[in-house]
Amino acid sequence: MPRKIRFKLNGRAVSTDVMPHETIVDMLTQHFDLTGARESCGQGLCGCCTVHVDEKPVSGCLSLAWFLDGANVRTIEGLADGDNLDPVQQAFIETGAFQCGFCTPGFIMMTKKLIEQHPKPTDDEIRHYLTGNLCRCSAYPEIIEAVKLAASRVGLRN
Amino acid sequence: MPAAPFPERERIDARDKVLGATAYAADIPLPGLLYAMMVPATTPKGRVETVAVEGAMQVRGVVRVLTAFDFPALPGPPPTPATEIAYRGQPVALVVAETLEAAIEGAEAVRATYAGQAFVPLIDSPGAARELVQPKKAGNAQAAMAGAATTIEASYVSPAQHHNPMEMLSTTAVWRDGKLTIYEGTQSASLVRANVAIALHLDPAVVEVKSAQVGGAFGQKIPLQRQTPIVALAAILIGRPVKLVLPRAQIFHNAVFRPKSRHQVALGADAGGKLTAIRYDADHQQSRKGTLEPGYHESPPRMYGVADYDGTAAHVRIDTQDPGAMRAPYPHPAQFAFESAVDELAHKLGRDPVAFRLAHQATTDPISGNPLSSCFLNDCLTEGARRFGWERRPIAQGAMVEPDGTLVGWGVAAGGYPANVSPTIATLRVSADGRTRFAVAGHEMGQGIRTVIAQLLQRELDVDPARLEIAIGDTAAAPQHTTASSRGTVSVGAAVTAAAAKMRAAMAELIGQRSIAGNIHRQLATVRRPFLQVEVSTLGPGQDAGALDRLRAGARAAAGPEYPQFTSFSYIAHFVEVRVEPSTRRVRVPRVVSIADCGRVVSPRTAASQVRGGVVWAIGAALREETEVDPRFGGWLNADLADYVVPVNADIGDIDVGFVDRPDPLFNAVGSKGLGEVAMVGAAAAIANAVFHATGTRVRKMPLRIEDLL
Repeated sequence: MPRKIRFKLNGRAVSTDVMPHETIVDMLTQHFDLTGARESCGQGLCGCCTVHVDEKPVSGCLSLAWFLDGANVRTIEGLADGDNLDPVQQAFIETGAFQCGFCTPGFIMMTKKLIEQHPKPTDDEIRHYLTGNLCRCSAYPEIIEAVKLAASRVGLRN
Repeated sequence: MPAAPFPERERIDARDKVLGATAYAADIPLPGLLYAMMVPATTPKGRVETVAVEGAMQVRGVVRVLTAFDFPALPGPPPTPATEIAYRGQPVALVVAETLEAAIEGAEAVRATYAGQAFVPLIDSPGAARELVQPKKAGNAQAAMAGAATTIEASYVSPAQHHNPMEMLSTTAVWRDGKLTIYEGTQSASLVRANVAIALHLDPAVVEVKSAQVGGAFGQKIPLQRQTPIVALAAILIGRPVKLVLPRAQIFHNAVFRPKSRHQVALGADAGGKLTAIRYDADHQQSRKGTLEPGYHESPPRMYGVADYDGTAAHVRIDTQDPGAMRAPYPHPAQFAFESAVDELAHKLGRDPVAFRLAHQATTDPISGNPLSSCFLNDCLTEGARRFGWERRPIAQGAMVEPDGTLVGWGVAAGGYPANVSPTIATLRVSADGRTRFAVAGHEMGQGIRTVIAQLLQRELDVDPARLEIAIGDTAAAPQHTTASSRGTVSVGAAVTAAAAKMRAAMAELIGQRSIAGNIHRQLATVRRPFLQVEVSTLGPGQDAGALDRLRAGARAAAGPEYPQFTSFSYIAHFVEVRVEPSTRRVRVPRVVSIADCGRVVSPRTAASQVRGGVVWAIGAALREETEVDPRFGGWLNADLADYVVPVNADIGDIDVGFVDRPDPLFNAVGSKGLGEVAMVGAAAAIANAVFHATGTRVRKMPLRIEDLL
């Protein structure tokens, strides 16, 4: 049987009926037309489906929507402030930190958390923090640069 | 006149990508969409005797189950469910349902029975059928080898591998008003269109294929995908749009893969230490009816100007799915073997491996006898050695040891890749309101072909880049070539150059002697012309109009690397530092320098990204990636991303990329040659050569594993 859940999605109060088996990715795609978080490995190790639930990064392909009642959910689509990109998004553009872009939303959502926890990350901290995100096009060197650029700007702003 | 260097610019598709707004094939929203799931064969070889679908039909939400009996009978192996099972995981049925969950539950409820047959799982299993193809020869390698003062001979192995782009294979089909529209990630929209039409007995004119954004491909999405006509028929029979996204394990079993290959290389040098003879025998894993040629003799003859070359190649046919092209399909495994062998020969001669290669500048293709259109490999080697600090390298193995016992080694290797080109048919429309639309062949798989087109257009014409629409990957926009073999930039370069010239001529005719201020859009507005449109077609060197017919038909239309007057290759040199940990023997690659000769670099940003990506692919290939067959049951053992280990950020160190950036005006007007494939070629050998330098152990197979260094 479906259950009605009420939660905050990218700052907006929403509600929807979900089935017990529906993952967060399925729900975002089918109920809200949000496709930025995508399934790829289906095992929680590629990071393409990363979203924030109550400020924590989670794998949206393994997490059930059922438990989102009352939660605060942020996806890649909710990161920019209107036309103003988030500093992490801007840094990924300037450093060219992607090719096909399929993994990019997951990397950006994870980088947001990385910078919160490591405001001045070293290369090694970045490499290990982002080990749960796969980029088969292999823009890894550019991603390191993007994270450092974003961290430097967030640091200046705070 | 060849183009001057191009400026560094951001990718034109960057903003959508960071917003998560890029729509890949499975993201297209469609009203009334049904979800599908495939039922894989659970036998490696045999015949389907029965398929019980009743259990699936009882699952709430299941709409229909398709089996082999729903499809038109066709001669030859159909790209549809078949009763003859050639490999484990082959589609037996397709379950279509109102929800994905119901489709999955329904697929699990389908029961098939099989009459099993004996099968051959490995290329060294009894029953593997060896099938020689035409040899590749130049001069008299046998005589040259007999007269050589120094020879080496060794065998090398490259494993089966899977591409694993992050975007999973998917097909979404819509049948409406007698027209079939297919959305899927493909590198070959026109080929898909032609082959779906054949499989389903449709007129190609009623089929359109759209692949505007592809989430990585690397060769996996070149051929017709197994699921495409199945999903298309489901949409036709049911009359609603149907979407299938293959689970990753099913992709491992149904997509093409890089076949395992074996390489026996013998090299001979004269008394002066000059490489004079090459003998190279290659074979590879092949399915019973597969067609991927064992084309391993592309690059080795074109590296070092050796006149005497003797190459053989063979299929080894077993019971598996069809192998296919995976990034640098021939040169990557071939150059792993060949460049390892060159390192072995240089070592035996007591020569520095960079100096040895520099002494062998190639100017001629011994296979065709024609000159190489350009070869700046020595520039790559010289610049790479300078940046890397190669002159500080001790010649002895095991001479660089850190205080904690870490062994450090430095290795070098080179790569070559054919410079190919496709004919194109393109349409350019420039409007007075500021818009520009360019429709041409090409698929955006991440390499940045739209950015390349924008770079070229902005150089040729004063168009507004903010309002530029680049229509590619769409059979409704222009006939689509297979975007592969590094031919994208070269092909669109010709199309843009021709279209811009025709547009300038049309503008000149329109404006006459008047002098009108502003860009091309303003000029059109001033003369009250809403738009100008030109259509052009281009051919590769030596091609005739038949190539355009093949392009329109979705058939193989490209040319290269042998052209009537010359042969064209891109080149690269890789310099690698490895560190072998003392207690675990784990190999790390902290530092790489790669210098490429791809002719004129059209988009510096995406070009550098291609090379870094290619180097990372080689690190994965050299140290991690192998898909393993279960010989008891057939099929792949490590069919997911937990067990098929690809590189992550923590595996990658510094990768310094440079370009010779000298145009090849003989090959085309822009002077570019192609890059995405050559980027990877030779880098795995450079890693193996560095491991030898660190440890004194020569590993002649990929991946190099910890146990190989104990």
